[in-house]
Amino acid sequence: MKRPSVVETAPVVVLAFFVVSAVAPNLIAPGDPLAIDPLASFQAPSAGHPLGTDESGRDILTRIVHGAAPSLLIGVLATAIGVGLGLVLGIVGGLGPRWLDTTSTRFVEVLFAFPGLLLALLFIAIAGPGPVTSTIAVGLATAPGYARLVRSQVLSVRRSGYVEAALVLGHGWWRRLLRHILPNVTATLFVLVTLGVGQSIVWASSLSYLGLGVSPPAAEWGAMLNSGRTYVASFWWMTFFPGLAIVLSAAATTLLGRSLQSRVRSS
Amino acid sequence: MAIRPSSPSRTATSRTKTSRTAATRAGLAISGLTLTALILSGCAPAADNGGSSDPVAGGTLTYATGDAEPTCLDPHVGGNYPQALVATQYLESLVSLDASGAVIPWLATEWSEAEDGLSWDFTLRDNVTFTDGEPLNAAAVQANVAHVQDPATGSSTGYLALGKVTGVEAVSDTVVRFTLSAPDSALLESLSQPWVAMQSPAALERAKEVNCESPVGTGPFVVTEWDRQNSITLERNDDYTSPPADAADGDGPYLDSIVWRFVPDSATRYAALASGEVDVIDNAQPDALVAADDDDSLEELDAPRPGASNRLELNSGIAPFNDVAVREAFIRAANVNDGITSLFFGTAERSYSALSSVEPLGVSDPDLFDFDLEKSNELLDAAGWTERDADGYRVKDGERLTVTFPVSTNQSIPAEQSLFEQIQATTKEAGFDVVLEPGDLSTWYATLAANEYNVVSAPYTKVGPDVLRILYHSDGITPAPSGYFANLAQVNLPELDTLLTEASEVSDAEQRSQLYADAQQIVLDGFYILPLYDQQNHYLYNTAVEGLRAMPTVSTPTLAEAWLDR
Repeated sequence: MKRPSVVETAPVVVLAFFVVSAVAPNLIAPGDPLAIDPLASFQAPSAGHPLGTDESGRDILTRIVHGAAPSLLIGVLATAIGVGLGLVLGIVGGLGPRWLDTTSTRFVEVLFAFPGLLLALLFIAIAGPGPVTSTIAVGLATAPGYARLVRSQVLSVRRSGYVEAALVLGHGWWRRLLRHILPNVTATLFVLVTLGVGQSIVWASSLSYLGLGVSPPAAEWGAMLNSGRTYVASFWWMTFFPGLAIVLSAAATTLLGRSLQSRVRSS
Repeated sequence: MAIRPSSPSRTATSRTKTSRTAATRAGLAISGLTLTALILSGCAPAADNGGSSDPVAGGTLTYATGDAEPTCLDPHVGGNYPQALVATQYLESLVSLDASGAVIPWLATEWSEAEDGLSWDFTLRDNVTFTDGEPLNAAAVQANVAHVQDPATGSSTGYLALGKVTGVEAVSDTVVRFTLSAPDSALLESLSQPWVAMQSPAALERAKEVNCESPVGTGPFVVTEWDRQNSITLERNDDYTSPPADAADGDGPYLDSIVWRFVPDSATRYAALASGEVDVIDNAQPDALVAADDDDSLEELDAPRPGASNRLELNSGIAPFNDVAVREAFIRAANVNDGITSLFFGTAERSYSALSSVEPLGVSDPDLFDFDLEKSNELLDAAGWTERDADGYRVKDGERLTVTFPVSTNQSIPAEQSLFEQIQATTKEAGFDVVLEPGDLSTWYATLAANEYNVVSAPYTKVGPDVLRILYHSDGITPAPSGYFANLAQVNLPELDTLLTEASEVSDAEQRSQLYADAQQIVLDGFYILPLYDQQNHYLYNTAVEGLRAMPTVSTPTLAEAWLDR
């Protein structure tokens, strides 16, 4: 095993910070993210408020730390939905009869014709805004990519010697899927998922920024970015720090995915 | 003829530099740098000759509005403020008001009330034609009133304003008689509003969608194009002959055209003004007003809207606010003053009245609205909301003390939305679970129509104290043809109805003023409303724009006398 480089450790450190923030926010910032203090509004970063305060005098550091859970959770859940759907569509296409493969492949291709965020917006237009629908929307939007990857993996594994051997030995369909095909698909998928989480976090924040996800005053990075936008010319810290949190978390998961990818390849 | 006592405060004024707090200084330094950069790269040099020169004709003025884009440019349909803003440029009313609030001639030159108060005669100007060539005559007025009152039009504001008009007849070509079901002390004030402005009868006969797209009036400009979600183009009416009696002398309109752009994002709107891309903006935000103070190329026009103040209406028609104690508890638990201080940077003053500060008959009662958490808790305990759940919200019979609060993001500026969040936070201390539901105008209207709200902030602009009748008479619980009902607090008190009806019928100024004072006290004492501040109406404009003024009627800006000094 090679020694981890800075590019590999930095994302882990950043993610560890955000994961701790998400799991136990009070360890880092014990305050209430919704506690207002109107007469201490619009304060620039200082010793008392390291990242400043927002328009209602809420502490921005506390809000970013407490906002990690909803912001990351939406990203992770959305990816889970996308992967789940992708697996079903991909396996159905890769293992099913030819007509089913053709149908599901065409369906995935139609979804591919829409840019991901547009697909998410379309879903929200139908289902209405809110944190649950925006999570599902992002999940749906990422599903086609996973589906295509899973299908091609399944197709190549299906024709491999050990699967044919399992068939000859008379192993059932489920056993072949669970013992032989899925394990070989998940290795590749895992790397892609790490890359995808970062993207999902950005998309979920984008939807909150547009007022379609988590609504104010909840501490969520996209929503914070949105409420600070009005004051961007006067009070930069209201948008800068939530934006930084989004960039850092997305960059960290993506870098982590990259290094995992190269490790998988070299091993 | 003037019923309204004079009110110097109605006059729209340009605000001079105000002091600002040290807390905002650091941020301002940064915004100052940004602005300097914008101006250096922009193309809006300040006027060299100071604006004392004679008006210059020509040029295109770009106006950026932050109000919602109207769904119909004919303000008879529905009837909201975004429509009034743009319609002021192309439609005119029978009468207007001057800066002191006195009724003055506009399309009608004189008028008289019958002895019994049941009919009014209006004499029309005889040289006015609509921009499609139709003459303005008694028949045209008749057609307009019929249009507003036709349920198919779907009018709400205009429909309510003409509620007592039972018939209109042409006495001669230029004299028109209104007959009323009861005397109406507010008739002239009602007729001064853009929602009952005069349109060409031939144009009104067209399909509703067509008239919505290109209404035809007698005003200084003509609607020539409507590029939805982007802008409306208005061009000069070269045959314009009918300015209101208080218009400046001159041979305006001077502008060739107006581009009326929709720029809903406040930061973008201000940046566009500061860079010289647009000439006038409305709905200027408090932080922008402070920043503009330091900018020599920008000026402010502050014109609070008449009618109601900006206030929260507590829906007394359904639980939990059908209990007066719970209403009082909510109002006592809301810390409004600190929020206004911090969010509005001194650009808005707290109101304790149902009426705008420009309404001389407004009654203020600050004692009723003291922030008092202890009292709020006592009231809720006494009202049976004794338990609290794990989240700290009060519970009674297994029901949480939930308050649904739909917020129209088209009507409530960001600072106001933040104020609502603060009210949400402070009332939580008393155990209220306030659920803010931000949405666009159509979602918001739908929530109100379905009676699925407990608190709402609904601006209502009308000239004169008769707005109280529209907002708090029990008749206002019945929806107007548009589906909108104005009595959102759902106040249903026979004695209040009597007072408001009587006040709308008496012509004695003192008696009228007393009746409205009694009526307002009932509304305030019943904790139906939580007044916040005047309906904010701040315009910022480039110093190159001369002759811009707000109409003394509903405070919409008029560009009839405006010209560009550049």
